[in-house]
Amino acid sequence: MSIIKKPDLTDPKLRAKLAKGMGHNYYGEPAWPNDLLYLFPVCILGTFACCIGLAVMAPTQMGEPADPFNTPLEILPEWYFFPTFNLLRVLPNKLLGVLAMAAVPAGLITVPFIENVNKFQNPFRRPIASLVFIFGFFFAVWFGIGACLPIDKAVSLGYW
Amino acid sequence: MATNKFFKSLLFTLTIAISVFGFSVENSFAYPVFAQQNYSNPRAANGKLACANCHLNQKAIEIEAPQGVLPNSVFEVEIKVPYDLSRKQIAANGKPAGLNVGGILILPKGFKLASKNQISEEVKAKNKGVFISPYSTEFDNILVVGPIAGKKHQELIFPVVAPDPAKDPDVKYLTYPFYAGGNRGRGQVYPTGEKSNINAFGATQAGQITNITTGEKGESQITIVNSEGNSTSQTLSAGLQLLVKQGDIVKQDQPLNIDPNVGGFGQEESEIVLQDSARILGYLAFCFCLLLTQIFLVIKKKQYEKVQAAELNF
Repeated sequence: MSIIKKPDLTDPKLRAKLAKGMGHNYYGEPAWPNDLLYLFPVCILGTFACCIGLAVMAPTQMGEPADPFNTPLEILPEWYFFPTFNLLRVLPNKLLGVLAMAAVPAGLITVPFIENVNKFQNPFRRPIASLVFIFGFFFAVWFGIGACLPIDKAVSLGYW
Repeated sequence: MATNKFFKSLLFTLTIAISVFGFSVENSFAYPVFAQQNYSNPRAANGKLACANCHLNQKAIEIEAPQGVLPNSVFEVEIKVPYDLSRKQIAANGKPAGLNVGGILILPKGFKLASKNQISEEVKAKNKGVFISPYSTEFDNILVVGPIAGKKHQELIFPVVAPDPAKDPDVKYLTYPFYAGGNRGRGQVYPTGEKSNINAFGATQAGQITNITTGEKGESQITIVNSEGNSTSQTLSAGLQLLVKQGDIVKQDQPLNIDPNVGGFGQEESEIVLQDSARILGYLAFCFCLLLTQIFLVIKKKQYEKVQAAELNF
């Protein structure tokens, strides 16, 4: 039973704002102090507990000393580089591989320009953008898994 | 120490002498001893374990170990070496035999094999007849076991005692990586470089097989004559199943027998936390205070809501 303020629809100022798709902070539960002062710290303290818990229960591993004359048995970058790493090792031409990697940020830069053509925010109302995202996501996960497998399964994951 | 080493080397020499001269038919073994003699540190700088130099097949293993351990506590690290129990390998004398397993566990510095009175009865019962020994006096944090019958021991259990940072200044409360290797079946290469009989042997030259004779011990003598009329003969030890027959034309290095290798070596790495109990207690106390704070914040909010409802001015 939190405190809820009803929208005052007789207020012409609020009506004008609502007409523009704004003014949502004129009604509902007040942000200050109900949320900002009392509930935000609850979440912030919760994240503290998680981080400190990780630090206590699983401290950072002391790795092996680095040796520049020594190639490890398995060469793998950090996990977030897995898909691009796989692209680089699958593509036969290294220049092509580098270009494919560069195409990722280049493609992302075009997003705000192409996206703006569609006026909706709802992902179901922007089918092309949503499909591009879904395809890109699955491609990244697929290639990320492939990066951990031997080179002959890097693309197929052993399915064909 | 010196006498200890002397006896050890004497023992190794005896074992090998006995197996070489064939007094024992039980020498269908993998040998951690071979690694102990040839490598002071069984883990190469790139992470490859020495066992993989002789056991050429790769087969997966699994590690089971606690996530964290307290100092001076005794815990078990389990290496699972699964394989198909119906498969047989050939022993050094050519007769079919069950597979043996062996394992190596490279713990962080300071971790040691638990002494007999520290091991629980349950583990003792499971490890009956399994002798785990430190790799060397220098590396007592590396444990080896094997060869032991794989039929009963597909899970190798290493009882380990954790070090105490209070006594040993080199040990800190940290996360440490550890490495494990497990093998089943005999090796393909001896440390001297000779091939064992667990191999697919290739033809020494291209040509036609003119003659295959079987010796009294079961070994086959294969004679190959090439296009220029030069003949070579090679002996395949007993127990190998031939792929070729008389009159066949073979290429150079074409395998003459079915690869009898049913085993393989696998290595894995994992990590273990040397945990300080004071840290855990401190964290629990911290969490308790945090929980109280969160509850009080929510209560305070509820209280303030009452004020808001009374004033109806927000």
